[in-house]
Amino acid sequence: MILNGVEIRDSFAEAFPMVGTRLIITADTAKWAMIAAKTMTGFATSVIGCGCEAGVEREVPAEETPDGRPGVAVLIFAMDIKGLKSIVPNRIGQCVLTSPTSACYAGVEGGDSISIGKALKYFGDGWQIAKNVNGKRIWRIPVMEGEFVCDHETGSVSGVGGGNILILATSRGEALQAAEAAAEAMSKVPGNILPFPGGIVRSGSKVGSKYAGMFASTNNAYCPTLRAQGQTALPPEVASVMEIVIDGVSEKAVSDCTRAGIEAVVALGRAKGVVAIDAGNYGGNLGPFHFKLREIMK
Amino acid sequence: MTGLVLTPREEFEARVDLGGMLPGMADLAKHKIGYGGSTVELGELFDVSGSANGRLTIEGGGRLDRVGARLVEGEIVVKGDVGHSLGSRMTGGAIVVDGSAGDFTAAEISGGKVAVAGSVGAHLGAAGDGSRRGMSGGVVVVAGSAGRRACERLRGGVVVVGGDVAEEAATDLIAGSLAVAGKLGANAGRGMKRGTLFLRSADGLASGFHDAGDHDLVMLRVLVRRSPELAAFLGKDVTKARRYAGDLNIAGKGEALIVSR
Repeated sequence: MILNGVEIRDSFAEAFPMVGTRLIITADTAKWAMIAAKTMTGFATSVIGCGCEAGVEREVPAEETPDGRPGVAVLIFAMDIKGLKSIVPNRIGQCVLTSPTSACYAGVEGGDSISIGKALKYFGDGWQIAKNVNGKRIWRIPVMEGEFVCDHETGSVSGVGGGNILILATSRGEALQAAEAAAEAMSKVPGNILPFPGGIVRSGSKVGSKYAGMFASTNNAYCPTLRAQGQTALPPEVASVMEIVIDGVSEKAVSDCTRAGIEAVVALGRAKGVVAIDAGNYGGNLGPFHFKLREIMK
Repeated sequence: MTGLVLTPREEFEARVDLGGMLPGMADLAKHKIGYGGSTVELGELFDVSGSANGRLTIEGGGRLDRVGARLVEGEIVVKGDVGHSLGSRMTGGAIVVDGSAGDFTAAEISGGKVAVAGSVGAHLGAAGDGSRRGMSGGVVVVAGSAGRRACERLRGGVVVVGGDVAEEAATDLIAGSLAVAGKLGANAGRGMKRGTLFLRSADGLASGFHDAGDHDLVMLRVLVRRSPELAAFLGKDVTKARRYAGDLNIAGKGEALIVSR
């Protein structure tokens, strides 16, 4: 399949089940809501090294937030509910509770519950107060700045982690330009996050390594400087590859996000140095979700 | 949507106990109710018309006690006044009274909504005789005033009183919210453990309440978005309140928030 001179390779992204939750972080200003959200979702690019994958889903206008202040929706994913239950309160406690004027609310209902205030209330050292309104409990934890307000708990969803596209371009600058366009388009699709820096990965990995204890190592088949050494997946004109990883709250969300990314890259076309779009997989035997690029673009 | 309609056949000579009479009951006319010291079939005192659809309208009252007691679902509308224990121990559904109600209105309810257009007697939302806990959930809105010991040992839920509340309101309050738009009688909040009083003035608070100053409270913004009743009382743009902590005489963690409009 060729679109605007860009080859859509006959490949698929292989993704895995994850469990995730959404939180709404608010603050007196949009600036501080975003600071808290970005701090809270920092060092959360890959479960392999970070224990979770997290990112900003979208900015939430004040009229949609539980306290009428500017907000940010974040998504956090882990491999299992036990991990999520541990990670979420830790991150809120260190990164949101500490952030000026912030508050934190449940962004999803149903599923296994994840403690927020239920776990963080102990910081109040006995001075914390709960309020129960219409069946929802909310905590007020006194802090030096005033009060930290947060919901008792949030829900969880079965998500999909590890959706991806690979952008193959004729130079590093063109690969980055295409990846930036893709990330911008993909970040507008609700229900997804792109957990890597700016949504882009310059160091895609393969499973395993020649070194014992390494779960993942550089994806040498896509490293342009290794073209002459062993098997390469790159055509001769490709000099750089960027990857975008997607975690979503559903298979459809990831599929929609994938399509948005490919469309953005295709819009740039071969004239902007994009040669092909590929996807990372492990032969289809590890992950139950297969996002076939050509089917998505039909 | 009229549902069943109960119309008194004649003026009652004694008090009528409607406890246990629920909107969805089949063959309501044969339901046994208390009348004075005896038991009679409801049809002997009321004309029953309409069809059962979960809504029950009572035309006129005054001497009707325990209307909607232990209500689980459905709606009861009373056109007139009612006696004591309106909606007591109800767990769901709604009761609307366009007159006034007696003592122990909404006592020990755990869910549902009670709205009284007039005033109520003593012990609104409170613990009944011999009980340790009052109302634990649900919403009560009284447009008029409330008698003494309103919300005594309140455990949860939201109570909004549009008028004055007599002395000793919120005594030994455990948790939950009481909002009073009018004047507060003496000694309010004595023994209050947790919970919140939303007031227009600190006058009447028990001696164990101490001024903690003016504060911009995010919690207020949340409450007005989660509770339409508190939004109507506080105003949807509320952000600040003067906080009194109490009852500090018993090391309580309750509070009175003075919100002016």
